[in-house]
Amino acid sequence: MELEKRLVILAESAKYDVSCASSGSKRYNRDGIGNAASCGICHSWTSDGRCVSLLKVLLTNACIYDCAYCVNRRSNDVPRASLTPEEVAELTIGFYRRNYIEGLFLSTGVVHGPDQTMELLIRAARLLRETHRFNGYIHLKLVPGADPLLVEQAGRFADRVSVNIELPTRESLKLLAPDKSREAIIGPMRTASGLITRSREERKVSRKAPLFAPAGQSTQLIVGATPESDLQIIRLAEGFYNRLGMKRVYYSAFIPVAGGNRLPALPVPPLVREHRLYQADWLLRYYGFAAHEVLDDGRPDLDLAVDPKCGWALRHLDLFPVEVNRADYEVLLRVPGIGVRSAKRIVRARRQQRLSFDDLAKLGVVLKRARYFLTARGKRLDDLDMNEAVLRSRLMAPATTKKARQLSLFDGAGGDELASVLTGEL
Amino acid sequence: MTCYLYDGTFEGVLTVLALVREAGEEPNSIGTTAPAQAGLFAAIVRVETNEEVAERLLDEIGRRLSPATAAHLYHAFLSETEGVEMHLHRYLRLGWREGRRLDSLLSHESVLPVHQLARRVRHEAHRMKGFVRFRKVREGFYYAALEPDHRVLSLMAPHFADRFFDQHWVIHDVRRNLAIVHAARREGWEEVSLELTGAPVMSEREEWFQSLWRRYFDRLAIAARHNPRLQQSKVPLKYRRHLVEF
Ligand code: SF4
Repeated sequence: MELEKRLVILAESAKYDVSCASSGSKRYNRDGIGNAASCGICHSWTSDGRCVSLLKVLLTNACIYDCAYCVNRRSNDVPRASLTPEEVAELTIGFYRRNYIEGLFLSTGVVHGPDQTMELLIRAARLLRETHRFNGYIHLKLVPGADPLLVEQAGRFADRVSVNIELPTRESLKLLAPDKSREAIIGPMRTASGLITRSREERKVSRKAPLFAPAGQSTQLIVGATPESDLQIIRLAEGFYNRLGMKRVYYSAFIPVAGGNRLPALPVPPLVREHRLYQADWLLRYYGFAAHEVLDDGRPDLDLAVDPKCGWALRHLDLFPVEVNRADYEVLLRVPGIGVRSAKRIVRARRQQRLSFDDLAKLGVVLKRARYFLTARGKRLDDLDMNEAVLRSRLMAPATTKKARQLSLFDGAGGDELASVLTGEL
Repeated sequence: MTCYLYDGTFEGVLTVLALVREAGEEPNSIGTTAPAQAGLFAAIVRVETNEEVAERLLDEIGRRLSPATAAHLYHAFLSETEGVEMHLHRYLRLGWREGRRLDSLLSHESVLPVHQLARRVRHEAHRMKGFVRFRKVREGFYYAALEPDHRVLSLMAPHFADRFFDQHWVIHDVRRNLAIVHAARREGWEEVSLELTGAPVMSEREEWFQSLWRRYFDRLAIAARHNPRLQQSKVPLKYRRHLVEF
């Protein structure tokens, strides 16, 4: 088959992996081609509004496993194709030199067994680094069940490695991905996590110590294919961040790509839920929240009508309003509508002057939600009762119809530097 | 009432700012052409760019105010917005009074416009790093055309000079007839004026790579997530002319 046709098939199969980050790595160009920019650069956006920064492709979409949610599963009747590691390297270089991409995201179906598959991925990465002297970004998938020594090799060439956890619980995994045990997935994750920590330590002592996945590791799970609550998901994510030092957890709304009776028949993918999970995840990583503050057993699922920070604030109205000229940075971060950038700007600006609401607006602080939770120079902007029902109705975006909501899903998200990833910034 | 004219370069505007500071008198305007409503009694001063004066001023700004202030000045200048020179003047005038704390006066009317313009320029420069599309031309170098709103080439150059160190390349701002040029395996880059007389002739495999990229790109979107409005806010139509995939 022509390369063009194979590329199309393999891109089609790879696109459901949502991670697009190309940031967080620092690789310098030493007389070859490419570098990894630590801030990440997006090169284009698809018509579903996702950033394109990596050539995201599979080595092969033929797979001996049969995961129910996956287009590539053995029992699915789709055209199969594969690329050789040499072809992958050539394509990557050709695209990179034309500045189409920041680098490569290489994944694959499982051929023969985990180790053989892992070896093929490593070969492509090694060709790029050693033969083509490529210093751009490489994200390699680790194959569940792969030998720790192969995991180690993969991380020597890759900027980031990932194994997808796929589903939040052992039971769901058994049901939908019977060939992949929880242990087979967690194993490479642990190995990678240990090696990442070790390499960081060694490099503190000597700059010459070898790199291991300098951009860390990430994982992805599918939302809505199985009955787990948001609380279970968020707790799992918290564990990944705290115990495995994971860089990112990605959530992917279940899209019935596959059919089959092991799966629920969802009329539309749960995109709003996915978005709320990203926001909750954001709270864990950047806003100093713990999972149990965002959700608890009495309230195991995220409110789809308001974002999780608003939800938290509405449950803690006794803490508000806070005075913008006095509140600590950490407290400002907990005010709905105030993001990291705004909080930093406020803290900086108020050293010089006492801020009014007008000043806040000039600083670019969006007051749409924050106004209900702040005083400035002791004054509030609205004469509103701090009453949950009233506030809630104000906070719910006027566009709550499904259609409008879908379109404006990401409107509040982003920021110059952050726009390069699917964000959940609040 | 003095209207200062300069040659449109950053060194030029710095020379004017140094002069104005010495004169200690509020200028009426600073620009590259005399304002239409300058009035009968306005004195028009054509300022000869003096690189030494410019450099000394920039140096002093870096030392007495801060290096960030110098960067804000430069970036805001690159916006090429009408009237930006007077904003720079007011910003700097306040700077001599406030010293190091100038850039924390975020909502001050003399600071805000400069910060906003500078941010807009940096944002576009960052965005453009992604939107450059090189085509390999027959002569063996890589050529990319751009039409940015602001004069961002010089801000993009170091990134490309590092990343594509082993490659001959040209990035061309076709609106301003400016280009940055880098020779393979040589440090640095140069800004030159450049006007193409005809369309560049592509190398043999160029079309093949472009069509691969287009086919690949078309496949990426997930139909269930269709959201062209978001796409448009990320890749505004004005930039698409030079993108291979649109
Ligand atoms: S292992 Fe499962 S998820 Fe991975 S490609 Fe094969 S079927 Fe798909």
